[in-house]
Amino acid sequence: MTHNYGLLAPEFILFGFAMLVVAVDTFRSQFKVGSAVLAATAGVGALAALGASVAMAGVHEEFGEILVVDEFTTFFRILFAATVVVVIAMSHEFVGKHIRHPGEFYSLLLLSTIGATFMAAARELLTAYIAIEVLSFSLYVAVSLAKTDPRSGEAGLKYVLLGGVASAMLLYGLSLLYGSGGSTSYEVLREAFAEQAGEASALTLVGLAMVIGGLAFKASAVPFHMWTPDAYEGAPLPITAYLSATSKAATFALLLRLLSGPLEPLIEDWRWMLATLSVATMVVGNLVALQQHNIKRLLAYSSIGQVGFMLMALVALSDQSTSALLLHLSGYLITNLAVFTAVIAFYNRTGREEIEDFRGLAETQPYLAVVITAGLFSLSGMPLLAGFATKFLLFQAAASGGYLWLSGLAVVMSTISLYYYLQVVKQMYFFEPSGDASRWRLTPSGYVLTAVLLVVMVIVGLYFGPLYEVADTAAGALFA
Amino acid sequence: MTMEQVWLLPAIPAGVFVILSLFNRVLPRRGDFVAVLGMGTVVVLAVLAIADFQGAFHDGHFAPAPGANTYEFTWVNIGDGVLRIMFSTYFDAITAVMVFVVSFVALMVFLFSIGYMHGEERYGWYFAVLSLFAGAMLLLVTTNSLIFLYLAWEGVGLTSYLLIGFYWERQSAAEAAKKAFITTRVGDVGFLIGIILLWRVAGTFDIQELIHLAEEGAFSETYLTVSMIFLFMGAVGKSAQFPLHVWLPDAMEGPTPVSALIHAATMVVAGVYLVARTLPIFDLVPIAQNFVLYTGLFTAVMAATQGLVANDIKRVLAYSTVSQLGFMFVALGLGSVTAAMFHLLTHAFFKSLLFLGSGSVIHATHQQEVEHLGGLWRKLPITTVTFSIGSLALAGIVPFAGFWSKDEILLEAFELNPFAYAVLAGTAALTALYTTRVVLLTFAGRPRDQHAYDHAHESGPIMLLPLVLLATLALGSGFVAFDGVGRALGFVGGIGQVVTSHGEPHSFAFHPNIAVPATVLALLAIGAGFEYWGGNAIRAERARQWAPELHALLVNRYYMDNLYQAFIDRVVLGLAGIVARFEKSVVNESGVDGGAQTLNWMGFRLKFLQTGRIPNYALGMALGVLVLSIFALGGGE
Repeated sequence: MTHNYGLLAPEFILFGFAMLVVAVDTFRSQFKVGSAVLAATAGVGALAALGASVAMAGVHEEFGEILVVDEFTTFFRILFAATVVVVIAMSHEFVGKHIRHPGEFYSLLLLSTIGATFMAAARELLTAYIAIEVLSFSLYVAVSLAKTDPRSGEAGLKYVLLGGVASAMLLYGLSLLYGSGGSTSYEVLREAFAEQAGEASALTLVGLAMVIGGLAFKASAVPFHMWTPDAYEGAPLPITAYLSATSKAATFALLLRLLSGPLEPLIEDWRWMLATLSVATMVVGNLVALQQHNIKRLLAYSSIGQVGFMLMALVALSDQSTSALLLHLSGYLITNLAVFTAVIAFYNRTGREEIEDFRGLAETQPYLAVVITAGLFSLSGMPLLAGFATKFLLFQAAASGGYLWLSGLAVVMSTISLYYYLQVVKQMYFFEPSGDASRWRLTPSGYVLTAVLLVVMVIVGLYFGPLYEVADTAAGALFA
Repeated sequence: MTMEQVWLLPAIPAGVFVILSLFNRVLPRRGDFVAVLGMGTVVVLAVLAIADFQGAFHDGHFAPAPGANTYEFTWVNIGDGVLRIMFSTYFDAITAVMVFVVSFVALMVFLFSIGYMHGEERYGWYFAVLSLFAGAMLLLVTTNSLIFLYLAWEGVGLTSYLLIGFYWERQSAAEAAKKAFITTRVGDVGFLIGIILLWRVAGTFDIQELIHLAEEGAFSETYLTVSMIFLFMGAVGKSAQFPLHVWLPDAMEGPTPVSALIHAATMVVAGVYLVARTLPIFDLVPIAQNFVLYTGLFTAVMAATQGLVANDIKRVLAYSTVSQLGFMFVALGLGSVTAAMFHLLTHAFFKSLLFLGSGSVIHATHQQEVEHLGGLWRKLPITTVTFSIGSLALAGIVPFAGFWSKDEILLEAFELNPFAYAVLAGTAALTALYTTRVVLLTFAGRPRDQHAYDHAHESGPIMLLPLVLLATLALGSGFVAFDGVGRALGFVGGIGQVVTSHGEPHSFAFHPNIAVPATVLALLAIGAGFEYWGGNAIRAERARQWAPELHALLVNRYYMDNLYQAFIDRVVLGLAGIVARFEKSVVNESGVDGGAQTLNWMGFRLKFLQTGRIPNYALGMALGVLVLSIFALGGGE
């Protein structure tokens, strides 16, 4: 049996460039060049992977029994490649100041993207598991890369230990499903579970609960979320951005594959589980966010709250809700990356990350204040910005899927979220800058990157038709 | 540039707005040349599109190849048609008239503004907003989707608000901007209701499709009547018709070129455009159409009488605009798109000319009350001549533009509704009278304010050029009524052949029994004007003392503004007070504050779950899975 290795071209490119970064890093000290060359190498690799992914749009082919490259895979492949391009672009100045091992930093970013893409592409349980571990292991190391900050080490340790627990849980759950269904292939499992529908065995049910628990950890759903604030706070800022973007989206990609495929016949068994998680997640995430003082922890809880909203789409799983979720994920990624780019620029300049430190930013750096305000407004779902359009469709999909009460709760929680986002805005606009603060400039790349993300955010907010259609096509691949 | 690419017209000024609003401080001359160049390009493209339009006539009828005059793409499509919004443009004779008027007058105003606004602190911002206005207005007249029309409708409303309040440091300007915005909003709500009512039954926002459906009988007659009256409310607000006309005279607080562009030639005719565009639907519902007719008729008379007594030169012109818009609505109420669009065309030129002329006067003297003017013809010869041309056109004197278009409306009225004819003829005489008054008080006689007079001097060439060009059109644009002139310009014939009512072309025909009395009446009115306001206006003073109550009634605008103010003060604010007390004690203090404090307290409690200790975290996870499993097993049995 021959395999078409060309199908995996973007991943080969990412892998090749990851190795190249490491190699360049090894000889870097001899030639006395800065970390810019690494960023450039990694950036070229990420862009090449993005280009290859775009060029391969429309492909629909299986890679052996383990992976499938279809519209759904392509959607996430492009999303992840674009994310890693942005993260590399936002990292350069930060890496120069705070990271002692830039080679590892960039190569891990590229490698973890491979894991993320395979999570979306897997059509077999073990492949999915290995993909998760590829992503996770890269991130365990990346989280602890800020050697100058003791919190980074602590965060890395917490993340790896709890990640181990979750991983064990997931693997055990997978093995139970295998035992019950007799195969690791999604297709075979689907047939097996279709026979059990309505009267699933205890083996299947416990396996299901453990798989959902394990994945809920990756997605940071309550009560599996507790690592999130600590890891977000301790990790180097670009890694925090990456965690909140790729890691989260990949988990949802995997969940979508599983729930619409092998686990679809068991929908009545897992629907209420996810509904419970969704309620707990949006309530706890949004309420605890009210109490935060650190911008990274605030964004961590806000991202937990957002996961609660996203889980709704899985509860009301349908073609339409999947399209809405994919659209929301892309809008959320764009917005989140914009906010993080701005926060990183702020941190590079001031070295501070408390919400109070943002006071008077509207005077010292009005452009950055606008970017942050727009980003936070988009996260809360204000009109004109990406967040409004995508959230609206998400809530609407949940409501029309028969979960009006859930989207009602989501609207209430969304309103509450505005409060803590506005806390930051208030600091920037209603207070004088403290003492000696004077006007300052961003780096040119900072201006360009934030401007691009801001413009995309507004475009998606006003004219989301084309993106919606792409998401709809991707969702269609799952429900064909 | 073909009719298909007409979307470029709004796109260019919109792009200019983005450039200017971001970079006007760093561009040389604050970027005014960008705005002028952008508008110049739009004029050229508009003319090219009209040339393409001329080529689409076959056997005297507008018959473009399918799709040649439309352009559309899907803006949003959710659930495959559950909610589908198209961006679409449509080009026909009405569009042709509108894009030419809007782009040409806008270019003239842009040029004039370079001189008039010179040295203003927010010079760059002024051009940015003016460009945004042009973009929104061009979108309004080219789009074929009610949703985008509404968007552009609000866009011109917003820019009008910004420009009326351009001198926001002045209390009266800020008040006037607010008044304009709120008053037109009242109409806009009706407009939106109308759009939604139509969409509810038809499931589309496409104007041509809606016309088609209505003609096929997709709506019941009562439903359609109600929908169209709601739709017309938007036109009433935007085009300052009774009872929502009160904002337009106050809108004169804005810079004068803005009054010329927005409050004379373009934005205020949006209502006329809307009704003309949807006239095939109005034709089906006589009640709604009569509603349009009588609203216009009443407004025409009422505003003309107020124009007789106003002292501010710009306000006289504003009342005259309201009155002339009434003429256009009468034409539409009678079912004549031709007459309405023809009058819209000529009115746009002569009225913007009059406004720019008054701008030239204000620029020269820094006065705009006629009490402080007088005798200016010696100082401002070119302004005097061009202003007089505009006035003759407004008064409807042969052969100036206004004569031909007013004649067309009078002819329609004469044939279809003698009562309307009588009223309009009287109003036309009043128009001639107040026009004469303002010209005499401004330019003739002796200066009443010697200081202002001494310092007055003619404006520079950049301001005189638009005056001269517009004067040429105020003199000549009426001749497009003739087939020969129309053919010479490349059209299939005169305006009656191009802009057709009910799809039936007709040629201009001279009717002496209408034209002669109208002209005589207008000349008599002008004579009376000279008699009363010529020299030192003694007779006018005597007339005022003869009936002081009548004069007070007119000066106080029939007390309508007072009535509205009293309504707002007593009823609206009274109700608001009650609601505010409820809101403060019940909603705010117990509801919002109480709710917020409760939520904050819950957050405070919940945050202690986050202990920072790994075993606790792992315990949480284990409990989570345990609970899920137990319930799964329990539920399964």
